[in-house]
This record gives sequence, structure tokens and C-alpha cells, in this order.
Amino acid sequence: MLLKLAWRNVFRHKRRTQITAAAISIGLGAMIISNTMMNGMDSLASYNIINYETGHLEVFAAGYYREEGLFPLDTIIDEPDPLIAAVQDIPGVKGVTARVKFPARISNGIDEYPVLGIGIDPATESDVFKIEQSVVAGHYLENPEDILIGAELAKTMDIDIGSLITVITRDRNGTYNAYDFIVSGVLLTDHPLFDVNAVVMDLDITQELLSLNQGVTELSVRLGRAANVQTMQSRITEAIDKGYEVLTYKEVYGSIFEVSGFKRLMQFIIALVVVVIAAVGIINTMLMAVIERIPEIGTLKAMGFGNKEIIKLFMYEGGIIGMFGSVLGCMYGLVASLFLVIVGIDLTSFFNTADMGYPVKFIMKGQIDPGMVGIVFVFGIVVSLLVTLWPVRRATRLQPVDALRHV
Amino acid sequence: MVEVQGLYKDYKVGKVLFPALRGVSVSIKDEEFTAIAGPSGSGKTTLLNIIGCLDTPTKGKVVINGTDTSTLSRTEKAELRKKMIGFVFQTFNLIPVLTAYENVEMPLILLTMPECEKKDRVTTILEEVGLGEYLHRRPNEMSGGQQQRVAIARALVKNPSMVLADEPTANLDSTTAHDILSLMEKLNKTHKTTFIFSTHDQLVMDFARRLVLLRDGKVVSDKARKAE
Repeated sequence: MLLKLAWRNVFRHKRRTQITAAAISIGLGAMIISNTMMNGMDSLASYNIINYETGHLEVFAAGYYREEGLFPLDTIIDEPDPLIAAVQDIPGVKGVTARVKFPARISNGIDEYPVLGIGIDPATESDVFKIEQSVVAGHYLENPEDILIGAELAKTMDIDIGSLITVITRDRNGTYNAYDFIVSGVLLTDHPLFDVNAVVMDLDITQELLSLNQGVTELSVRLGRAANVQTMQSRITEAIDKGYEVLTYKEVYGSIFEVSGFKRLMQFIIALVVVVIAAVGIINTMLMAVIERIPEIGTLKAMGFGNKEIIKLFMYEGGIIGMFGSVLGCMYGLVASLFLVIVGIDLTSFFNTADMGYPVKFIMKGQIDPGMVGIVFVFGIVVSLLVTLWPVRRATRLQPVDALRHV
Repeated sequence: MVEVQGLYKDYKVGKVLFPALRGVSVSIKDEEFTAIAGPSGSGKTTLLNIIGCLDTPTKGKVVINGTDTSTLSRTEKAELRKKMIGFVFQTFNLIPVLTAYENVEMPLILLTMPECEKKDRVTTILEEVGLGEYLHRRPNEMSGGQQQRVAIARALVKNPSMVLADEPTANLDSTTAHDILSLMEKLNKTHKTTFIFSTHDQLVMDFARRLVLLRDGKVVSDKARKAE
């Protein structure tokens, strides 16, 4: 009965209820949308890192990772073949490939640009990475002198398929070395940084260029669908020699995911501010409800209703408004999120690739977290209930006679 | 049985004290049909409010069925009102969003009883006050007289030992007022409920079997008007 009364009271002033619920829904919807976007961005970042940079796990010579930014060529994996064989045999591992990453400069005869050089084993690279699938013009590495270049970099340096470029770097002993390559293909990945400053070449040539003999800087490991990254990390660590360390892609790019966590927090705070503003709306609505119904509260008290029942009545009302706000907010948050999941946001022009003539688009897609939607739904109701407490205190403090006398 | 003993009530308006009751003592027996009469400002409503535990006296006490209400806490007073006292107000005070049936059902939600008994009580009392046809009408779909009948049904549905009615006919025309008073008188007899009502209307006074006259917060006369 109290619930029925609360329900009808909520609809005494339809417009007021609608506006209040709409205000809450905006805040809650924004929370869901921001979460979907952040999930999508995290997921895209993970996808790019796994598919182009690290695989699920990376094996380094002990100590290499701490100085990875400096590309320390004296702490590399000198004998990769037995290690590859050992890792490959571990159940759950889908593919292993060796890579050499090094800083270099490339020259087209006119300009020089700093780049990230990546030496890959064309035979096993596709077991782990999607470089081969990302060649949008020309062909994959077929000859030792072939080199693949990022689309953005190719555009900047005015390089076409068949152009001659020189890669200049220092070898393991610090000696400058240079090698001429012919651009065999242009890479357009989903990874903006990869397209802007990476060149990819054959592993054997890279090892020769850097005087590494058989050495590589890292092994990248792709796992089967069912495998758990952390479990496999410890399994591989146990299986190989202590002179190596195994890191997950999240550990290798910890800073990216930390930044993502911070952005997530900031977006959540902004959405929270919107909810707080909406909460002020609820306080106002409930305060109005209490003030205009003071004689009614007096009548209820005269009937023997205690403060407990009066509080319950107004809490139901606040809760109902909150529920409407939550339902609305989740609904429109989900609709917008579904748009982000199905259609996504086209970032092609943002990455300035629209005029490159390649039929590839950068589309960031969202990812809905059902748990988060549930939390947001409950949050809307709980906030509404909590902020209702304050106006309701007014109602409980009134003496019945004062309430009845109130005009 | 209601015993009002040496009741004083002062209201403070700004820095000035206004005495509303100045030593009122009156004893009302069970099943009486008593009018508290007097001109505006004589203290009728204040007296009813204090008897109904809606207000507290400055001095003196009210004893209801042996319980001194001045010793009760807020919750205990609410409990007393819930079980023993029904109220009828001048302005009816029905809850606008509820139907006649639901308004009458309201006091019962505080009491523990089977749903079928609640339903039975509500329909019976509404039929008794002549509103059997209007169960699902809201207050704004009823006349003043009909609304006051709902209010009376609401006051009586929990079978209280007394009904306090503050100027119950003040907002009604004389014919409707007459009907309402006849109804109250009938219910007083059939339900054996004590009725205490305040009024300044001669018609209402004529209905009362006992008339307590107040003036300036004091009882100036107290006499039986009709044979019991």
C-alpha cells in the first residue's frame, strides 16, 4: 500500500518526475558510454599490441626488458633456436617467432628519419603477428633486400613500392653500419604508431646489419584461445632456463594500461559529477514533495503512522524516481554503446590516412561491460535513496499538530 | 474514558505568550457524543489536539483509559493514535492520489490482520457511510459531503475507542452537515465509539448529547442536552 501510494505520488507531478529522472539518466548513461569507450580503447590497444608488437607473451634475455628503451644489444638471446623449440612444445602455445628491434635512421637520399627497425623471420612471423595481412600495397618480404614501411612514414618520405632506401644504424659493437633496401610493401596496420615510424625487414639481414650472429632481442609468443596469459607466463618461465624472463604484453606496455586506468578514472569522475548534479535535482524534487505535502504528513501521523513509515514512503518515492532514471540511463547508455559496438567511431581522418588511397579504415569499436551496466543501474537507485534521506528528515521532525496546521 | 485534568496550553508568537487553554478539566465517558463548543479562539481545536496526542500541554494531563498521555514518548503516542483514536478534520484531509477505498484502507496497513479482513472492514464501513457505490472514486471526484463520509469511515475502520472530529461540518452546507451529523450519531450508537467534536455551529450543538462550552480557554458550561 505504501508502495502504491509512493508510486502515485511520484506521478502527481509528471513533468517534475520526468525532468528529475532524465537528469539522473544523463549522468548514468554518460557513465556507461564512457566505460564502453574506454573498454573499446583498451581492447583496441591490447589488440594492436598483441598483433603487432609483442604477442601475448615475450621472452627476453634477463635484464633486457629493464633497459628496453635503450635497445641494449649486449643482453640479447644469443641462441634462440633451442629456446623457440622449448617454448613451442609447451601446450597452449600457438606460435613463437623471433624478432630484433633496434633504433635506426632511414634515408631516401634526400631526408633522414628516425625509425624503429624490426627484423622478422618471415616464415614464423605470421604464426604470431598480423604484419603479412597488413601489407596494403606491394608484397610481403620475399627477398633479403626487401623492406616493408609504414604507410604514414611512406607518405611523409614520399616513398613508393620499389623505392630504394638506406637503413643506417649502429651494430652491437657501436660501429655505424648501413644497408640498402628496396621497398617491397607498404604496411597499414590498425596501430597508428606502427604506421608512422616502423620499418620491417628480414631477420637474417638484420642480424648481419647489427652483428648479432644468431642473436635476437626477443621471442614473441602467441597463445591458443583457451590459454590464460598469466598461467602460460609461469608455465613458460618454469620450462626455460633462468637466464630468460617472460613478460606479458600488459607488463611490457604497463605504462599504456596505467594511463588508460587514469583516463578511465577521470571519465568516471566527470560522469559522477553529472550524477551529483542530478542528485541535487532529486533533493530539490523530494524537498518540494515534502513541503507541499506537510499537511498530508500530519494526517498520516494523526492516523498513527510513525517516522519509520513516513521515511519509508518518501524513500520509495526517491527510489522510484531513481529507478526510472536508472532504467532510462541504462537504456540510452546501452543504445549509444551498441552503436559504438556495432558501428564504432571512424578515426580514419583523425589518423590522416583518408587521402592515402588505401581501402582501410581505423574504426574504434566499443565494448560493453554488462557488470558495469548492472553497477550503474544499482548506483542510480542507491544515490537516489541516499539523497532522499535529507529532505525526509524535515518530514520526520514535524510535530503532527504543526504539520496539520501547515498551509 | 478520557480524563482532562487542569490543562494549560500557551502558544508563543514572537516574544508574546498566548494562552489557548487555561485550566480545562473535563471527563468524558465511553460512548459519549460530546460537542466542545465555543467561539473562534476559545481553545476547542487545541483541546482536541491534546486529547488526540497530536499536541502537548504546557501544564496538566490527559488520561485515556488509565494511561497518562503526558508520560508517553512520540512513538508510544503514535501507537496510541494508531489503535485507539480516529480523527475527522474540517478539511477532510483525504490523500488525493488514493481512491475512497484506499483512503479508508490506510489506517489498516499499520495493523496486523488478514487481507480478507481488511477488505471486509473497508467495504462494510464504506457501505455503512453510504458510499458503497463510490469505492473507486478519488477525492476530487466526490462532493464535500462524500469526502467527509470517507474521512469518517477512515476514522472508524480500525474500531477506535474514540473519534475526535474538529469542526467536521464547517466546510459543508447545512443539509449535508445535517446528514453527516446524523451519520455520526448513528455510528456512535452502532459502533459504541466515543465521539468528541468541536464546533461553533448551533446545528452541531443541537445534535450533541453533551455540550462543553469553552470561552477564552476555560470551560464555562458543561451540560447534558438530551437523554442518553
